[in-house]
Amino acid sequence: MTEFLAFTITGIVTGAVYAVAASGLVVTYTTSGIFNFAHGAMGMLMAFLYWQLRVHLHWPAPLALIAVLFVLAPLFGAVIERILMRNVRGSDTGVALMVTLGLLLFLIGLALTWWKQTEPRALPEFFAGHSVRIFSVNVTWHELISIAMAGVVAVVLRLLLFRTRTGIAMRAVVDDRDLTALNGGRPSRVSAMSWALGTMLAALAGILLAPKLGMSVFNLTFLVITAYAAAIVGQLKSLPLTFAGALALGLGEAYAVGYLPTSGFLSHVKPSLPMIFLFAVLLFLPQVRLRIGRVVGGRSVRVPSWREVGVAGVALVVASWIIAASLGSADLASMGQGLAFGIIMLSLVLLAGYGGQTSLCQMTFVGIGAVVAAKISHGGSPIGVIAAAGAAGAVGAVISLPALRLTGLYLALSTLAFAVLADNLFFLQVFGGGGGLAFHRFSIVGISFNGDVAYTVLLAVVFMLMAAFVLAIRRGPFGRLLSAMKDSPAACATLGLDLTRTKVAVFALSAAMAGVGGAFFGGLRGSVSSNDFIYVQSLVVLLLVTIGGIMTVLGAFLGGLFLGPGFYVLGKIVHLDALTFLGAGLGAMTIARSPNGVVGQISGVVDRFRRRPAQPEQGITGVEVIEEVERVVAPVG
Amino acid sequence: MSLLSVEEVSVRFGGVMALQDVDLTADPGRVTGLIGPNGAGKTTLFNVITGLQDPTGGKVRVEGKDVSGLKAHQRARLGMARTFQRLEVFGSLTARENVLVAAEIHRRWAKDGSNPKEVTEQVLERVGITDAATERVDAMPTGLARLVELARALAAQPRLLLLDEPGSGLDTQETEAFGDLLVDLAHEGLAILLVEHDVELVMRVCEVIHVLDFGRKIAEGPPSQIKADPRVQAAYLGTDEEAAPDEEVVRQ
Repeated sequence: MTEFLAFTITGIVTGAVYAVAASGLVVTYTTSGIFNFAHGAMGMLMAFLYWQLRVHLHWPAPLALIAVLFVLAPLFGAVIERILMRNVRGSDTGVALMVTLGLLLFLIGLALTWWKQTEPRALPEFFAGHSVRIFSVNVTWHELISIAMAGVVAVVLRLLLFRTRTGIAMRAVVDDRDLTALNGGRPSRVSAMSWALGTMLAALAGILLAPKLGMSVFNLTFLVITAYAAAIVGQLKSLPLTFAGALALGLGEAYAVGYLPTSGFLSHVKPSLPMIFLFAVLLFLPQVRLRIGRVVGGRSVRVPSWREVGVAGVALVVASWIIAASLGSADLASMGQGLAFGIIMLSLVLLAGYGGQTSLCQMTFVGIGAVVAAKISHGGSPIGVIAAAGAAGAVGAVISLPALRLTGLYLALSTLAFAVLADNLFFLQVFGGGGGLAFHRFSIVGISFNGDVAYTVLLAVVFMLMAAFVLAIRRGPFGRLLSAMKDSPAACATLGLDLTRTKVAVFALSAAMAGVGGAFFGGLRGSVSSNDFIYVQSLVVLLLVTIGGIMTVLGAFLGGLFLGPGFYVLGKIVHLDALTFLGAGLGAMTIARSPNGVVGQISGVVDRFRRRPAQPEQGITGVEVIEEVERVVAPVG
Repeated sequence: MSLLSVEEVSVRFGGVMALQDVDLTADPGRVTGLIGPNGAGKTTLFNVITGLQDPTGGKVRVEGKDVSGLKAHQRARLGMARTFQRLEVFGSLTARENVLVAAEIHRRWAKDGSNPKEVTEQVLERVGITDAATERVDAMPTGLARLVELARALAAQPRLLLLDEPGSGLDTQETEAFGDLLVDLAHEGLAILLVEHDVELVMRVCEVIHVLDFGRKIAEGPPSQIKADPRVQAAYLGTDEEAAPDEEVVRQ
């Protein structure tokens, strides 16, 4: 009984901190319409800043708390809103997604640079050593404070949103931004305030959690997934339900720690609980209604002709042969990596560029492909590659199913959750912490690509074949269907298209392509480990292909070029540990101004050069609005 | 038995009854009109029929079979196709591709061996937009884009066609031709349900007209009868005392 009580109290404490984090997420999402993927990273950064003041500079706790919670955090939130999010509003959700993901990576990069993870750090609890006895269970003051804080947050938010001018303005902005502005409200000030508030809550959660969780950049950044899992119970809208979700999650975790075995497969359930919880809740959410009446018309990039593709393909293979033969082994490895990542990024061009779906777990599929290929003849045979595609594709189909009924945001979040889940439950199991899987290089009908140069040329050939495959889809009925589905899912449904099945198909196909990428990636590396497929890698890959231009195969090539040779060369000039995170993050944050990435910029310049009029962004808008507004009084008879 | 019958359908949006106990039928071989002032619930009714909006109450039947539980794509496979008041064209595709996609979707589930390319050309010709077929639809004027939506709906080879203000954006001459097309299509056996503000067009092509006002059906009958109906005139001009109390009741 005492044991149960102890677990229950731990659960309530954890749930209280999750509730604080989740309510911050809900406040920013509802008032600014932007889901902040960097919410956890912001909390993480603030926890580190608090550590810097409290531990490193020996400030007294109250002073450090005031400095972080009431000065640094709100300021940071407001500044982020002003310089980043203001540009994002009004554009499609994809841009907001990339910008907040970019911020997430950038903040991780920043924290890794400033606070090297090799150095151990600990954040003391509040009033460490003090505790009270409640029914024979010791409860520390820190734990009591955590619970009290959740209560304070709940009361303050309630009062703020319903009893103050600011709160009413916030809710007005949620209902109708333009109307609020017309009535003299200031939506931009209101969103800056909601971001400030959201960041304060993230900071509070980070600081409360850090003593227990440890000062780990990656673990603290996870908080966004945990917070999201709680918030999804309230469908990202209701604060009371969010609190309930957080409590359920906290209790579930505590009981999992208490009653599940401490070794074997089940011992990994505890760190994965938020993700499992998330998938369970997703299954019970009602299917979203198809939205109609949006502004239609997408941007599209010219599809190259087969002749152009053929010429480019031959040129690439020949060029890579010549370049590869002249490079030293380190330089050559970066080039091979660029091509391998290019192959992986092609799977995202199909999924996100053509299909308009999002995956934040593409490297997980790569990992699944690599593991399966390694288990079969060490990845060196065509059968291994086919098996990799099949396994990754099957997993892709299964995990996308629950989320595809919902909107794009839910898919993005559940794929992120899946990536973390796979890190904990699958890759750590397979690789057993730090171990690697050995790979043989590809050989077919007696021809082996064992040498570095030969393998690089092989990668170039595979890239071209995959690019041709993606382009063939783009030009065929399935590609047309994907474009149509992206422009208007509602119209597709009323024509008899089963949207869920089509989305699952494209998701599975993309996952299979990533699996193939994994087989070749493993061959390039010679051995792979769980670190290669950690969730942030998926974000890096997605952001870099977006920067390159996710609508085109050329964008995938450029993205690979950035990730392989690009950062390799940059690393020789700038000596920073987390260069990839910083670079990819920074690049993605600027993407808001150019959603088609580098390829879009280039083709824009080319169009201007050729003096061709640019494609109009949208043709059908003005008249529609007027028709809506007018109450047409048509006389009868 | 009617091809489409709507029985006592109600839809509530918060405190507003968008539709209240609406009955309606549509039969092959004729154009059925659905008119009413803006906000009367016409588009909402279309959404209920095609499965984009769940009704609060009531049933939708196709050939007597209750389809209330079916999703939008399943209803489409029973032979429904529609256009949208606020366009839902595939903006990044050309007009021809818009229609081709529809024909390809149709072949995918119907497995009738039809040739999507042939169907597309026929339909483009029929609607009279072959000349504009290579244009991207998001660069088109509204009237033309509406014709693309009609062509797209026809490419799905429906038995029941729901048109939501297809005539707005067309000039007098185009409207005339459009009316003829509707009559022809009906004579070939298609059941057409037409929402339209152009009263002249409605009176010309419809055999039966249903009138909605504030979510309720206030009249039903042939054009001549509808023209003379005082309730209809009141609803449109909004001056009669009869319409005012209704509003009070509906907006609880």
